[in-house]
Amino acid sequence: MIRIAAVGDIHMGPDSQGVLRPAFETLPECADLLLLAGDLTRHGTPEEMRVVAREVQDLAVPVVAVLGNHDHHDDRPDEVTAILRDAGVHVLEGQATVVESGGARIGVAGTKGFGGGFVGRCAGEFGEPVMKEFVRYSRRSADGLRSALERLAEEGCDARIALTHYSPVADTLAGEPLEIYPFLGSYLLAEAIDTAGADLAVHGHAHAGTEHGMTSGGVRVRNVAQPVIGRAFHVYHLPVREPAASGTAAQQAR
Amino acid sequence: MSTHGPQDAGGGPPAENLDYRIAHLQDRLASGELGELGVRVDARGGSVLLTGTVPSTPCRDEILRTVHEELAGFPVHSDLVVTEASSPDHAEDLS
Repeated sequence: MIRIAAVGDIHMGPDSQGVLRPAFETLPECADLLLLAGDLTRHGTPEEMRVVAREVQDLAVPVVAVLGNHDHHDDRPDEVTAILRDAGVHVLEGQATVVESGGARIGVAGTKGFGGGFVGRCAGEFGEPVMKEFVRYSRRSADGLRSALERLAEEGCDARIALTHYSPVADTLAGEPLEIYPFLGSYLLAEAIDTAGADLAVHGHAHAGTEHGMTSGGVRVRNVAQPVIGRAFHVYHLPVREPAASGTAAQQAR
Repeated sequence: MSTHGPQDAGGGPPAENLDYRIAHLQDRLASGELGELGVRVDARGGSVLLTGTVPSTPCRDEILRTVHEELAGFPVHSDLVVTEASSPDHAEDLS
């Protein structure tokens, strides 16, 4: 069994130091790794990200993160990424990492992702340049996630996890106003996950959403935004299975 | 023929229109010091209801201060809660 702890949208600032650390120090008892699903800061400033870095530094479990839209607000994503990496965090953007923990090889593919909406109610790559770029940006994020998941399939992991900030499905947005769904996620992420295959998809961003959902390909999705889970993190238990069985969609894609 | 001229528009002058004042408040909460996008602000008749979860007590206090300043003259009801930071007491089995 693989034990996955996850939380997103912790929105730390100067007044947050030490708030999550006591709970994070219990992680070795209940989890093999910690996933951070973006929006770790309020404005994406180096000062705020240093608060996050100190909160997760030297934990006894590996930490894997993606950035969120708040972490981009100060226009310094590379700088805040470097601060997290200096603290030992694996920060993913269209990338994958394999962590060995609890005797298992756990593959995580990550991207921030972006909006655009869901099938039948989504933005199209048409019209004004800014509108086309909106959709292309979302598509690039999804393509990066798919490629990263496919690389993990080749490497042979005991489990593969898709980590995003924006949501791949509408299920986990239930509770948010319908009108803002296109700003909360994109079906392109779910399509990437279903094409490459994954055992679990984890995201944040939708504070008023719900925890449980599933892609149309059958991959379970969990919204771990802290306001949704109401805890420092949630833990999911995945059974260990043979890498060869990792997703019918992945098999079809070969 | 339309009988609706500008003088017939409901809601009073824009500066006193609660809808627009709520929109400006949400802009200020998002772009200001707090970077707060997670607070829902809804008109309930002539008053305003705040809902959502915020990261800390100082954040909640600052949001309330901003709301009272921006919506001076309107009653404000706050159901804002501060994020819970305790460890979970159970795990979900995905087998």
